[in-house]
Amino acid sequence: MRKGSIAPAPLWWPTGRVRSEHPCSHPVPLVLGIETSCDETAVAVVRDGTEVLSSVVSSQVDLHARYGGVVPEVASRAHTELLVPVTAQALVEAGVTGRQLAAVAATTGPGLVGALLVGVSAAKAFALTWQVPFVAVNHLEAHLYAALLEEPDLAFPLVVLIVSGGHTMLVEMLDHGDYRLLGETLDDAAGEAFDKVARFLGLGYPGGPAIDNAALDGDPSAIAFPRAMRNEGLDFSFSGLKTAVVNHVRENPDVSTADVAASFQAAVVDVLVEKSRRAAADVGARALALGGGVAANTLLREQFLGACADDGIQGFIPTRSMCTDNAAMIAAAGWYRHQRLGPSPLDTGADPRDRLFHR
Amino acid sequence: MLLLGIETATEQVGCAIGGHEGVLASAHCAKGRRHAENLTPQIEFICGQAGIELSDIGLVAVDVGPGLFTGLRVGVSAAKAIAFALSIPMIGVSSLDLLAFTVRYSPRLIVAAIDARRGELYHGFYRQVPGGVQRLSAQQLGTPDDLASELLATNEEVLLVGDGARRYAEVFDGLARVELAEIGNGFPSASSLVQLAHPRAMREEFEQPEAIQPLYLRRPDAEINWSTRHR
Ligand SMILES: [Zn+2]
Repeated sequence: MRKGSIAPAPLWWPTGRVRSEHPCSHPVPLVLGIETSCDETAVAVVRDGTEVLSSVVSSQVDLHARYGGVVPEVASRAHTELLVPVTAQALVEAGVTGRQLAAVAATTGPGLVGALLVGVSAAKAFALTWQVPFVAVNHLEAHLYAALLEEPDLAFPLVVLIVSGGHTMLVEMLDHGDYRLLGETLDDAAGEAFDKVARFLGLGYPGGPAIDNAALDGDPSAIAFPRAMRNEGLDFSFSGLKTAVVNHVRENPDVSTADVAASFQAAVVDVLVEKSRRAAADVGARALALGGGVAANTLLREQFLGACADDGIQGFIPTRSMCTDNAAMIAAAGWYRHQRLGPSPLDTGADPRDRLFHR
Repeated sequence: MLLLGIETATEQVGCAIGGHEGVLASAHCAKGRRHAENLTPQIEFICGQAGIELSDIGLVAVDVGPGLFTGLRVGVSAAKAIAFALSIPMIGVSSLDLLAFTVRYSPRLIVAAIDARRGELYHGFYRQVPGGVQRLSAQQLGTPDDLASELLATNEEVLLVGDGARRYAEVFDGLARVELAEIGNGFPSASSLVQLAHPRAMREEFEQPEAIQPLYLRRPDAEINWSTRHR
């Protein structure tokens, strides 16, 4: 696994460095995954939907930091520059050539439309040139597969909590391709709340790691922030919590920022963990897993696994680099999708509001 | 050598295949701004019509703009992907050069103008030369009114071409010595792209694929706002 800015872009033309083999000598299904739905340009090669041969992620976080959030036009331009060099690196690291691939999968939505189109256009061009199937992948479906990719033995029915800057949802996975939405946020996504509170507290961008860090020195029980909808169903609401933080700081200007960060984080994590274990109990899940960028949060990881242990249910959290946006999960989801439904048509476009449910 | 040309700078999606014998096949669709949806199937179609495999292509030429940002990114991303997948060289061509090339037999001053939205145009000035046209100055972004004043100041017979010229026809129509080219020349053509790139390919005037990027001529709004705030 590689993370961070790509090392000096490999020369991708001419490509004498990639060892070439006979195109048909590879019986093993290799899928190239491409992810450009937000601010990570990512390409990966995954074998059989389970073995990551390479996973290159070029994060644009530095490009967007000064704007305090992802700027779609800036993201689209960066994807256009980075996608082919990142692809070259993913193929070289995996030690395969394009013609050995069984399919090319790309995120077609949800996400930023201009950013998605870069990945979709390149993926379809690769598929056409290498004469392999193109597979359209839903970004959220891919987050579901992050856990299965690292822990193929997770038993169905599996409940997955996806928490990121754009989404907060509890999904029951009954089988490959068979999902049920158990609950989702009614307003802000959890990651969005982290970003907004971090900005308000002057902790910088992105908010997730900033709050995680600041909270290390704070007392999570210092301030009793509300746990919205704690006992009502499996849906979430985080906008009231953000308002509570703002009000508390305005009323107590001398309050310790570390305490606010720690107490805010504790309130979010409490609700996420509480609803996840209730969802698992409701549907009789055999396993519980996490996905999405917020799953990198230290406190959430601790409490989530603790709750699974208490409840005697198999719990799994993917590695941090698999929780945040990456292309290995796209390749894995694409592989399973291709087995079920076959290739996607070459006139597929991007669908920025693509939904995992009622499609 | 066979060339594949990809052109997505305007509302139109175009692609063409050609070589020594000229253009073998081409497809253009100006309906619905479906760049990402149409491009790959169109390339597949013209390969079939020309009776070749995509792997027979020896060079990818791409219209790098200026033009619609999203369209450009679709075309440039696909072109680079194909060039990378086949390990073949690339040539980038300006959308305004392509427009001017279609009316190259006119002795007048040729002005190519592409709609840049937000009340602005991308434009360039050209003069007929043996075998094509020569750009006289840098490609620019400006308002139709500014362009109209510039045209008046030249005191020359002008042929104005492109969807930008047509969109602001009312600004240019009344100008003396200025004529708007017919609508058939409104968009850059992938066939012209192949024709223009072919001699360059023969002279091996390739570009590093990394260097081939959309020509935006306009910074992202966020960047403009940020630099005004932080001056
Ligand atoms: Zn995501």
